[in-house]
Amino acid sequence: MSVAIESVDLVKVFGNIKALDNLTFRVNEGGIYGLIGPNGAGKTTTLRIISTLILPSKGLVRVFGHDVVHEAAEVRKLITYLPEEAGAYKNLSGYEYLQFMGGFSSRDTADLRKMVEDAARISGLGDRLKDRVKGYSKGMKRRLLVARALMNKPKLAILDEPTSGLDVLHAYHVREIIKQYAKEHNVTILLSSHNMLEVEQICDQVALVNKGKIIVEGTPSELKSKHKAANLEEVFVEVAGLA
Amino acid sequence: MPRPLLNIVTKEVKEMMRDPRILLGMVLAPLIIFPLMGFALRTSTEAMQESLRTVPIAIADFDHGAVARNLTDFLKSMPNVKTEVIEAQSIDEVAVVAQASNVTSVVIIPEGFSSNVTAGVKAALKVYGVFRSGGIGESLTFSAAQSLVELFRQNLISETVQTRFPENQNVLDPLAISQESIIKGRPVDVNPSALYSFTQAQSFSLPLALFMLIILAMQLASTSVATEKEEKTLETLMSLPLSRFTLLIGKLAGSTLVAAIGAVATIFGVVYYMGSFAFGTTTQPSIDLAAIGIAPSLLSYAILGVSVFVALLSALALAVVISVFAEDVRGAQSLLGFVYMPLLIPMFALMFTDLNALPFGFQILLLALPFTHPMLAARATITGDYLTPVLGIGYVAIFTLVILYIAARLFATEKILTAKIRLGRKKIKEE
Repeated sequence: MSVAIESVDLVKVFGNIKALDNLTFRVNEGGIYGLIGPNGAGKTTTLRIISTLILPSKGLVRVFGHDVVHEAAEVRKLITYLPEEAGAYKNLSGYEYLQFMGGFSSRDTADLRKMVEDAARISGLGDRLKDRVKGYSKGMKRRLLVARALMNKPKLAILDEPTSGLDVLHAYHVREIIKQYAKEHNVTILLSSHNMLEVEQICDQVALVNKGKIIVEGTPSELKSKHKAANLEEVFVEVAGLA
Repeated sequence: MPRPLLNIVTKEVKEMMRDPRILLGMVLAPLIIFPLMGFALRTSTEAMQESLRTVPIAIADFDHGAVARNLTDFLKSMPNVKTEVIEAQSIDEVAVVAQASNVTSVVIIPEGFSSNVTAGVKAALKVYGVFRSGGIGESLTFSAAQSLVELFRQNLISETVQTRFPENQNVLDPLAISQESIIKGRPVDVNPSALYSFTQAQSFSLPLALFMLIILAMQLASTSVATEKEEKTLETLMSLPLSRFTLLIGKLAGSTLVAAIGAVATIFGVVYYMGSFAFGTTTQPSIDLAAIGIAPSLLSYAILGVSVFVALLSALALAVVISVFAEDVRGAQSLLGFVYMPLLIPMFALMFTDLNALPFGFQILLLALPFTHPMLAARATITGDYLTPVLGIGYVAIFTLVILYIAARLFATEKILTAKIRLGRKKIKEE
């Protein structure tokens, strides 16, 4: 099994704030890896560095062997990134948005058409895709964006809080899409969430992050049994208190 | 055009043209507002002209002599004049009657007027304006009345002089003065005043059109970047397999295209607006520019086109750099407000004077601004001096490249996601 992401002693400093403090972890290909922790723990900063949007202050990150700093263009060919609370272009229709985004990774028109058809199916938005995005609810928009992030079957999909702010039904739909797509197409998923119960349901491997450090890592069942906890929330409360 | 670039440009144009703020503000408003302004101005000018069709003048003759009767008959004989004779005992009484009627001027001929004129003594004559609302119509009809009285005075002088010097008909107008021009070292039979009014109309309309075009383009480009930040679509775009330079150029090209559509709409509106005044200038002789050797050549138009284009590109690049530091659209517009006014206002100095007539320091300042150069290029279409605009294009191109380089650097780094200026604190802050 090859390594999808390798992060070694990752440090990121914003002014006087150390957002990441020697963050080290590894994600295997084909797995769903969850970074969990409270707001301000450093999850988004980690995802932004891996997505080549911001530079690390120190340390090393490789995506399928490519350095995110020196081989950013190569990394961008392998990944898709879904930012937290991302929007879509409100004056485009759902279809037009998917066509626009697919246009950057499709090989030709036939490939693009196939991608958009896939995304339409994943999103489950049906005929509403013909409507302009500005008429979409938050849940519909998120489903469109998740579909966009998965439609070109990237080697690595980086999803920041994929279900944040969604109601139960929309959140369930998005989680099912992620699980199904990772399994069917061997897409590695790195996601962040502060909803620990959600992460427990879909992730093969999790890392609990607090104050820019990984305080514990493992499979959800390993962590629960090791800390004799009923769920990951209890694990986090225990280890964060000890940390 | 490479596919990713085409993809970005298409998206930009679609997004902007569907944005009601842009469609209304930049395309529809100029097409509606300028013609409306023109209509309002034309209607009021027509109303003014209509009011001049009848000049109502009251005459109060306290003299009843021969010259006084001549004056009354003269005024009555004038076309478009409606006279009303007021019989009164005093000026106060005349004032009451005049105010109650619809006359705008009263000519009062005092007692002794005729005998004074005949005896060669300066004779008093009073022209009163009847003040009501102080509107333009009132003022114009009063001026007309004044001119008629002046004409009567001239006639009186002519009659007197011609009686004294019957053999010399030219005594009152001994000089035949003509106004002509020297253009490019060649005497040309064209009145310089007509030429100046033509070139001044040009030097007024071009800066105005350019000012609007540049502000329009800067607003579009900065809104385009700021909206991406506000709607949080920029991060997604920047994680795509797409070079940051392509992204930047795509945004600039999209804004240029939409700004061009806006500019065309503005030009249509302005042309209609200017057309509203055309009837007012029909009395001026038209000038055949080709015949007098100052018709702009195709080359000069090409130079002007290139000059406007590079200036526009520099404005767009500048707007993109500025909007990088804004968190949202409102912030970008505020930042832009701080920047484009100082950049654009000095160029209006060129509307009123030549560059060479300005103090040296101000000349350098104007030449340093990219937006001054299209105006110099516009002047060159008449003067035929191609060197100044070509040098200007070179300078603006270098200026634009430097700004584009800065914009590309900002797009290539995390600054575009993290840099922001808080207007309240006036300092750059990183997240």
